[in-house]
Amino acid sequence: MSEPFITQAPDEAMELALRRIRQADAAGKPSDLAGLALDQVVVNMGPQHPSTHGVLRLVVTLDGEIVRDVIPVIGYLHRCKEKLAEKRTYYQYIPIVDRTEYVAGINCEWGYVLTVEKLAGIEPPRRAEFIRVIMAELNRIASHLIGVGTFVADLAPLGTAMVFYMFRDREPILDLLEEATGARMMFNYFRPGGVRFDLPPGFEERCRAFLDRFPKLIDEYESLVDTNAVFLQRTVGKGVVTRQDVVDYSLTGPLARAAGVPFDLRRTRPYSVYPELDFDVCTEQHGDVFDRYRVRINEMRQSRKIILQCLDMMPKGPVQVGTLRPPYVITPPPGSAYTAQENPRGEYGTYIVSDGSRYPYRLKFRDPCFVNLQILPKLMRGNKIADAVAISGSMDLVLGGIDR
Amino acid sequence: MTAEIGTVHLSMDELAARLARALPGELTELRIQDPDTVIAQVDPAALKRVARRLHDLPEIAFDSLTLISTVDYGPHFDCVYHLYSFAANRYLELHVRLPRGKPAVDTVSDVWPSANWHEREAWDMMGIRFLGHPDPRRILLKDDWIGHPLRKDYVDLIENHPYV
Repeated sequence: MSEPFITQAPDEAMELALRRIRQADAAGKPSDLAGLALDQVVVNMGPQHPSTHGVLRLVVTLDGEIVRDVIPVIGYLHRCKEKLAEKRTYYQYIPIVDRTEYVAGINCEWGYVLTVEKLAGIEPPRRAEFIRVIMAELNRIASHLIGVGTFVADLAPLGTAMVFYMFRDREPILDLLEEATGARMMFNYFRPGGVRFDLPPGFEERCRAFLDRFPKLIDEYESLVDTNAVFLQRTVGKGVVTRQDVVDYSLTGPLARAAGVPFDLRRTRPYSVYPELDFDVCTEQHGDVFDRYRVRINEMRQSRKIILQCLDMMPKGPVQVGTLRPPYVITPPPGSAYTAQENPRGEYGTYIVSDGSRYPYRLKFRDPCFVNLQILPKLMRGNKIADAVAISGSMDLVLGGIDR
Repeated sequence: MTAEIGTVHLSMDELAARLARALPGELTELRIQDPDTVIAQVDPAALKRVARRLHDLPEIAFDSLTLISTVDYGPHFDCVYHLYSFAANRYLELHVRLPRGKPAVDTVSDVWPSANWHEREAWDMMGIRFLGHPDPRRILLKDDWIGHPLRKDYVDLIENHPYV
């Protein structure tokens, strides 16, 4: 038997890929293209690769152009965020949460703050709840714009137009977030018991002005892509996630909703003021790459609807309860709490164990991308390598969150 | 498998009672924490059996494992399995207590496929062995890392890093 061709000195993931080829050969398993098993090539894709949107490394076993096996290798962006929490007070840790899944920082902050509030029994004032929803939904739109934009850019030449349109339209959202929080991406805005500042004067008008423009922009994206033959050929029926996969692999976010499972924590495990707001959980039926794109586009419309309602319903009043004052320390009673928040990518869970001191005793994140990424090998197997790029793009992975 | 979530309506007391009935003698310390979460303690030796039963419970199957958390309490480790039932829209936290001297427990990755990476992470970060795991490699740290950083007694020695 000839040795499969290797592109670099093997590490454990590479060796695993080679071992799997040998096992398949030894067992005499007929492949779909019988007789080509010996021609398999193990290719190292990443960690620096334009279509992985971060430092994701895929050890891909190729059979000609067809992907036979994929072994994701992660951890290149690991910054031991869970360990860092054990030496920081509950306030000091908030800026670090922003940097886990940096594309949707506000949503991550919210997940963390929710858990601290649950542990310490803090109830934020009503105005702060509406501000939180507005910020989180603005950030959800911004995140989906990046997710869809870069995904389409990977697929076809027209994507270059799409990605520029989407980054252009993300700017006004980041401007709004910057006005309110002082930062474009690393916000450090939420506090246990409210938010840091009230909204600046004129924010509401500028927010409404953007939201009035936004539906036309979404129509523009759809007209570019939805009927494009190249885009449809590369997305429809590719990388299908079934409902059983959603349950088995605990998939959440657009991945689950595109497969027809209406799992949205804003509805299934409601928090904040979401029960008072009127919006739809966007689902599709087929679970393929195209449906995931459709879910994200529709969710942007729903987010707009939510923000408009919040602007109408938002009462006047304080934006934080009296916890935010020197020495900026909260000491939750001993115990543990798990809360989950609907991040643009799925269920962002935070599990905190408190021993009654100023620092969390243990903090654990459930990052949606980390969990969703597990199904990637299953989706890619049997597809062409070019479609594998489409599939990983449609999962909207953020490596900052996966590696933590 | 249904496309709907929360089709079975159960109060938390009913849910706890049903769990206790379905798993007689297996769940020690069954209590209700939140409006939607039940916390149960289970013996490590019984974990696989309990996991299988919970996964296949009629009507309110806890068929989805969302997360495995690990906590270092000093004399023992706690392995927390966060389970979710799509049908009942309820959460169950399954706590397994492992002695520090021999932190090992059966894998549940054959019951819930999503457990695979969570168990690898638990091994990587906390040094808990999962017996029968199909792919027991480290996941976030590099292959030749020494020690398990999230243990409370972890010391990071500079000698362990040849590249710095």
